[in-house]
Amino acid sequence: MKSELTPENKGEMRGHMHPISSLIREANKIFSDMGFAFASGPLVESEWYNFDSLNVPKDHPARDMQDTFFMKDEPETVLRTHTSPVQVRYMEEQLKKGIQPPYRVIVPGKVFRNEATDMTHEAEFFQIEGLAVGEDITLAHLKGTLERFFKELFKGVNVEVRFRPSFFPFTEPSVEVDMRLMGETAPEKLRGKWIEMMGAGMVHPNVIKNAGLDPQKYRGFAFGMGLDRLAIVRWAIDDIRLMHSADLRFINQF
Amino acid sequence: MKVSKLWLDKFFDAPLPNAEALSDALTFHAFEIDGVDKVGEDEVLDVKITANRGHDCLSHRGIAKELSAILKLPFTHDPFVASKTVASLAAGQQGDVREATVSVALDTPLCKRYIAANIKGVKVGPSPKWLQERLEAIGQRPINNVVDATNFVMFNTGQPLHAFDAGKLTSVDGKYSIEVRAAKNGEKMLALDGKEYELKDSMLVIADANEVIGLAGVKGGMPSGITTDTVDIIVESANFDGVTTRKTAAALKLRTDASSRFEQVISPEMCAHGISGMIELMQRPDMNMGGEVVSVVDIYPQPQQQTYVSVTVEQVNKILGTKLTGADIADVFQRLGFPYKEQSDIFEVQPPAERLDLTIPEDLVEEVGRIIGYDKIAPVELPAFATQPEINAGFYTAEKVREELMSQGYSEVVTSVFAETGERTVLNKVDGVKPYLRTSLISGLNDAVKKNIPNKDLLGIKEIKLFEIGTVWKDGKEMMMVGIVTEKQAAVEEPLEMHAPSAAPTQYENLPLSETQQYKPFSKYPYIVRDVAVWVPNDTQANEVEDSIQKEAGELCKKISLFDRFQKADKTSLAFRLIFQSFDKTLEDSEANTAMEKVYVALKAKGFEIR
Repeated sequence: MKSELTPENKGEMRGHMHPISSLIREANKIFSDMGFAFASGPLVESEWYNFDSLNVPKDHPARDMQDTFFMKDEPETVLRTHTSPVQVRYMEEQLKKGIQPPYRVIVPGKVFRNEATDMTHEAEFFQIEGLAVGEDITLAHLKGTLERFFKELFKGVNVEVRFRPSFFPFTEPSVEVDMRLMGETAPEKLRGKWIEMMGAGMVHPNVIKNAGLDPQKYRGFAFGMGLDRLAIVRWAIDDIRLMHSADLRFINQF
Repeated sequence: MKVSKLWLDKFFDAPLPNAEALSDALTFHAFEIDGVDKVGEDEVLDVKITANRGHDCLSHRGIAKELSAILKLPFTHDPFVASKTVASLAAGQQGDVREATVSVALDTPLCKRYIAANIKGVKVGPSPKWLQERLEAIGQRPINNVVDATNFVMFNTGQPLHAFDAGKLTSVDGKYSIEVRAAKNGEKMLALDGKEYELKDSMLVIADANEVIGLAGVKGGMPSGITTDTVDIIVESANFDGVTTRKTAAALKLRTDASSRFEQVISPEMCAHGISGMIELMQRPDMNMGGEVVSVVDIYPQPQQQTYVSVTVEQVNKILGTKLTGADIADVFQRLGFPYKEQSDIFEVQPPAERLDLTIPEDLVEEVGRIIGYDKIAPVELPAFATQPEINAGFYTAEKVREELMSQGYSEVVTSVFAETGERTVLNKVDGVKPYLRTSLISGLNDAVKKNIPNKDLLGIKEIKLFEIGTVWKDGKEMMMVGIVTEKQAAVEEPLEMHAPSAAPTQYENLPLSETQQYKPFSKYPYIVRDVAVWVPNDTQANEVEDSIQKEAGELCKKISLFDRFQKADKTSLAFRLIFQSFDKTLEDSEANTAMEKVYVALKAKGFEIR
């Protein structure tokens, strides 16, 4: 292993960026070129935005204590369990500004699940939400958008995207999205293997309605992808807990 | 849910394709498959039923119906079609209507339907081999012919059943009265699992004239359980409220195959299929059960109404991005067995009673999409967006600050938002530690420095310098802060907002990305540091010396770095630091020493003087 500190470059070294920050920077660039704006929302969120507005019924098991962090002495307030609440928040904000669809937006940010941590599970992790709303958005656009995203992220490697049926209360139809890298230039470890990347679908009409839009007129696609998982796939990271470890043995590799 | 291939075969005229083919069919058109196991002659698929299909697919019949649609195989033996009406079951064997021997009172809207069949003179014994095998294949323990029959019907149709030993129930003049009601607070029931449960008034129970005999939709009571002495039985095929059942099962930590079906909400129409399936099964000669159906009571105050959902060809294509024809869509509905009317490109579909998930046009679009196959949807790029996406001020600022700090040698960390103290608290932290939301980045940053200092040599850096851009909750607000810390300077922070550009930016800057190809795992074991300094002629390259060291130091040497260099007249001193570390164990000093001895020998051989 060659020394990093040769006499020639003994000066101040550039620090290292957290891999999640690098991914967000890259995702923003790719999606920005496709017309997607960057949006954010609060991490402490109302049950309305986190669940009800997204068509998750009051008695849905996902709202049980074991999955969601609830805030003490703050009724109907949770640590957001996904970046999807920003779907409705963003649409509302645009409408307030008098801006009608089409909308395209990505929402990278931190989310929370009340679960025990291990090599593949963390109580706090990162997601990126994508939303495109307009009069003529289709499931085919979702496929095309994700294919382009992965193609650019994996630098021109042949990328295939496939959908499998799934269920989420906030999309109908709902799909599970798998990705496969093909060809000589694909990283050997990933080559030819289908990898489960995210949940997605066509925005449920109730969500469009809850945001204040007419679901007869507007439709959209939405997706929510784990950024930690994407980083793990991209760089072959072996433990999700490294993300919050603040360990330079990890961070200085990026 | 565990699904047996041999069981599924019975719904069709010919055996189905192999389990792998079934697994693929379900994966791409219906449900994920968690695994396929060989059990004796049988193959068992573990099917992950999505939450919207718990209504109809927690059963072999439901999965078989899906396969029929996906694989275009005629669904020739549908137990729902074969079901006898309750009225005909109640008519008795000679067709004469008898006086009911059971009365049922529903004192709650949470039970939509209750069918009770009183069957006399049964013979309790072991089930036939085929039935035992089917149950065992899906992980169930055969008990006796009566209980096995109720279980078989549940796993076959999705309708849970329960059999009571009528001989243990209170009867007046040979008549049983069954009541479905809320439990009384503190009321107790000894359940079939041998445990006594204390009930609350939020729970639903089945009671006879005297006492609680079952926990509705969850578990039956021990005293009225079926034993080898049982002669007369009452079979319950009922419909209980989903939320109530789920909450009861959760509160008592008693989740059962029955409760996990009711909690998904099932159609009360299925009660009839359940009781019909039970009576048909018990009359099979190989069940050796005998028994005479003396009365069947069906209390169904508000029968489920037929619903209608319409979708147009245009809607299907505008949502999926396809060019399907009316004939393509009609084919899907036929394969799914949905009655429909088609008129000028509008399909009016009558969802089957058990398909409670189908309520809006988009639900039908999903049916079309998945049955046709999402692989038929060709990717299409979005059209160009008319306007430049707006620039997010917060992200722009964070990126600017991130670049500035990195250029000053700071590396970025992300630490937990959970803290020992704070203004706002999480109610239900699973581990109970750090239940507060942090008010500051400072303690996380100070901890991070401490944690990294011991690894400085390994990292080959002179000073630990860290920053974090993260959320804090302070003074009633959620805000983004930026904090920095170094080994020498305790952490400081300020609101990220303070670094916002004075004029609104018009575009994001093109900033560098990580160029790393692959992460390399690091050893969790401690490392050993050894320094070596040598005098070399002034024209000797440091790289050359380093190469010699590397060759001798061996695999345990993880890093070599030049940390000092000075010249004295005709010679130069080069000082190298070597890091020894193993992936498998804590290294002994002697192991590093052995490697260093080899290094010394090699350097001396080159004519260098060790300082």
